[in-house]
Amino acid sequence: MSSKHTILAALKQSAVVTAPKPLINIEPISVSGLNESNELSLVEQFATNLSTVAGKLITQGGKSALAEHIQSLIEQDKSVLSFVAGVTGNRQSPDRAHEMHDVDFTVLEGQVAVAENGAIWVTLPEQHRVTPFICENLIITIKRDTIVANMHQAMKAIDFNACEFGVFIAGPSKTADIEQALVVGAHGACSLDVYLI
Amino acid sequence: MKIALFIPCLVNQMMPEVGIATLELLEKLGHQVILPKGQTCCGQPMTNSGCFNEARATTLKLLNSFKGVECDAIVCPAASCLVAAKENFHEFDDSDEAQAVIRKLYELTEFLHDVAPIASFNKAINSKVSLQMSCHGIRMLSLATPSESMDTPFNKVEAVLSGIEGLNIVYPQKRDECCGFGGTFALDEGAISGKMGKDKAHAHADTGAEFIVGFDPSCLLHIDGTVRRQQLPIATRHIAQIINMAL
Amino acid sequence: MTQTQTKTHAYKADIFCQDESRVDWHSKALWTLREKRDRAAKQLPEWEQLRTLGSQIKLHTLSNLGQYLETFEANCLANGIQVHWAKDATEHNQIAYDILSRHKVKKLVKSKSMLTEECHMNPYLEQRGIEVIDTDLGERIIQLAKQPPSHIVVPAIHMKKEEVGELFHEKINTQAGASDPTYLTRAARAHLREQFLSADAAMTGVNMAVADQGAVIVCTNEGNADMGANLPGVQIHSMGIDKLVPDMDSAAVILRTLARNATGQPITTYSSIYKAPKSGGEMHVIIVDNGRSDMLQDNILAESLKCIRCGGCLNTCPVYRRSGGFSYNYTIPGPIGIAVGASDDDSNSIPWACTLCGSCSYVCPTKVPLDKIIARHRRLKAEQGQLPYGKRHYMPLVGKLMANETALNCSMSIARTSLKILPHSLLKPFAGAWGKYRELPAGADSSFEAWFKRNREQK
Repeated sequence: MSSKHTILAALKQSAVVTAPKPLINIEPISVSGLNESNELSLVEQFATNLSTVAGKLITQGGKSALAEHIQSLIEQDKSVLSFVAGVTGNRQSPDRAHEMHDVDFTVLEGQVAVAENGAIWVTLPEQHRVTPFICENLIITIKRDTIVANMHQAMKAIDFNACEFGVFIAGPSKTADIEQALVVGAHGACSLDVYLI
Repeated sequence: MKIALFIPCLVNQMMPEVGIATLELLEKLGHQVILPKGQTCCGQPMTNSGCFNEARATTLKLLNSFKGVECDAIVCPAASCLVAAKENFHEFDDSDEAQAVIRKLYELTEFLHDVAPIASFNKAINSKVSLQMSCHGIRMLSLATPSESMDTPFNKVEAVLSGIEGLNIVYPQKRDECCGFGGTFALDEGAISGKMGKDKAHAHADTGAEFIVGFDPSCLLHIDGTVRRQQLPIATRHIAQIINMAL
Repeated sequence: MTQTQTKTHAYKADIFCQDESRVDWHSKALWTLREKRDRAAKQLPEWEQLRTLGSQIKLHTLSNLGQYLETFEANCLANGIQVHWAKDATEHNQIAYDILSRHKVKKLVKSKSMLTEECHMNPYLEQRGIEVIDTDLGERIIQLAKQPPSHIVVPAIHMKKEEVGELFHEKINTQAGASDPTYLTRAARAHLREQFLSADAAMTGVNMAVADQGAVIVCTNEGNADMGANLPGVQIHSMGIDKLVPDMDSAAVILRTLARNATGQPITTYSSIYKAPKSGGEMHVIIVDNGRSDMLQDNILAESLKCIRCGGCLNTCPVYRRSGGFSYNYTIPGPIGIAVGASDDDSNSIPWACTLCGSCSYVCPTKVPLDKIIARHRRLKAEQGQLPYGKRHYMPLVGKLMANETALNCSMSIARTSLKILPHSLLKPFAGAWGKYRELPAGADSSFEAWFKRNREQK
């Protein structure tokens, strides 16, 4: 008998009482004082939670502010890889993913942003999957109307059937493995700026 | 009400003052109190060690001492013994008669909060007390919301004591961390139990309270031992002793 | 002292406790995590609802596990993922080795996986000429120190920064005497970058396997799993059969509680969903039983498979915090380690490394009834005649004494008199562990029953 069949046969002896699948129905948290405009409150919540995970939200200036920032980075001799239309970097995506190891800044589009935790859903259908992790610094753009309240709503907003790989990114990479001291910049990007466009 | 006392072996043999205070306070509240004969132990030391066969005789002996006793409630001044009695009665005897006993079982604080609340206290106690929120009472008997829980908070122990004039109730740091008694744990895992007891004794003493007040005699016995070993300026009292003083 | 005695939790904990300042330091570090967890949980009004849902989702999945595993496999295959089944640790290690050797892998980068620890995979692969690099910072620290993890989320929590500094100086050439965590972390980043860029294959653990997607979810803060899995051609994900969830809506519930309960973060930095191999690459999933289906045959032990490995129960456990991760005779320490490891514990002591305080069960984001599971293990050990600490001999005597009123009253009367009239210094040697750490109780004048007789019945 194959191990698959051995395992499945053993599971037939399970003593766990059949339990129904629960209905997951959780209303988003309402944030008092910010209810007049739901959109604004989501942006505020997102900004707060992004900052608790060590990321920064730039709400002013939109894409032109981003393009200006990129330009100044290039003038400082930084290598920039951009996948956002209208924002031009000075590096191209290489054939071999490993060659991105010295990219200073990568600019990507986020698809869905989650207010409750500052996470941004990123899929990379055309790029190397390691793109958001291998760069020194990461910049993500999000659109105002893609911010949702919580993870339940995020799951509904994302079409998982269309993706082969995706990641929720909440801030720059970090660790607290040495005496619980938080250090931003472990193996992934050392900083995350999010531009609201 | 007519109340049958369930006096666990530890209280009977080592801390009779807790039994006396329980009896006196219930009498002052106008209840008729009886002590059914033949009670020894709820079986907890054995069942907590996994030794169910060894617990059977003493558990059934305790259960039998309450079977057929005419009373409105069976009250016990020891939370963990009460929890163990409930579980062990159920384990060894599932008869209707046993169920009738189980349904009447109350821990003292629980009884004074849920069943027969104290209308008013007569005497003030001008003292600061640090409450010992013992594990079984809060996590298995729901005497208070444990600190881990995000449910709407409640605290029956504080609610019962809050009617006493002059009493200043405080809590130690890590308010409901286990004191480290744990029955035979205190003997099997002496170093850890001793360290937990020491930390708990200091946490209570650091509040500046005069008394550590709790509802579980076994925890209090253990904490008393560590308090005296550390020579800390605080003493342990059972909640029954405090209530009895205020009536 | 026999070999079994030196393996007991009490023996090892006693040694750990000899350095009290270190115990306090260790306990405080973990309690900080518990406090962060409390603050994070408090921010969600629906916290307790999420715990209930987490429990229900996992119970539902476990009660239909065979079906969900088959659905998961079918969807993985359709996505181009290769699926392997391993009934035990040996088979898991063989499968991993076969994949690696087929690709002539010399260097494997690995992100945190308690399953591969459980299977003792690293030494297995190393003996066969494969270099295994643990890439989570904490895991790398203990790998360089040649130690097992002492915690499932923060594996190097037992080490002080000075000790890490010394280790890094010796192994990866950091400055002598340097112990600043930022400096050390950056040095590890540079050191591990080289490993990521030169690895031939990557392996990760799995936080959740999503049945209806045929996908695995991997959560890290450091980004090491993604740096690993997304560079070389071959990626392997090892998962226990208990990692299944039905769908992404279910995964959302657990993603909301996992990091909050582990470290107080609202979510881990990276929550990645791998649903197909990368272009030109291979993706393998190894589904492992290794005793889990046995646990499912006991309806109490089965609930330990609801665990999502957040480590929250370790952080709250007053015994774990004061005894350290290495005092448990199993790879996973703390309450969940006892729950899943007691059957393999040949010292038969870890179920007793617990006061049954129940804090862990209330902390748990999927409501694993850890105290009930631990009590169940005690009963099973007793039934198998495998009780520790002399219980097999004295428990029957205690049972008999407690059931015999005359004998109990008589012996306790002697005890009370002794406590009253004898100097306690004389009694302490007889009082064993009690007297070593505490003062003996004052002896009462009489029992309550005798008092009652005198003051109520005879009046």
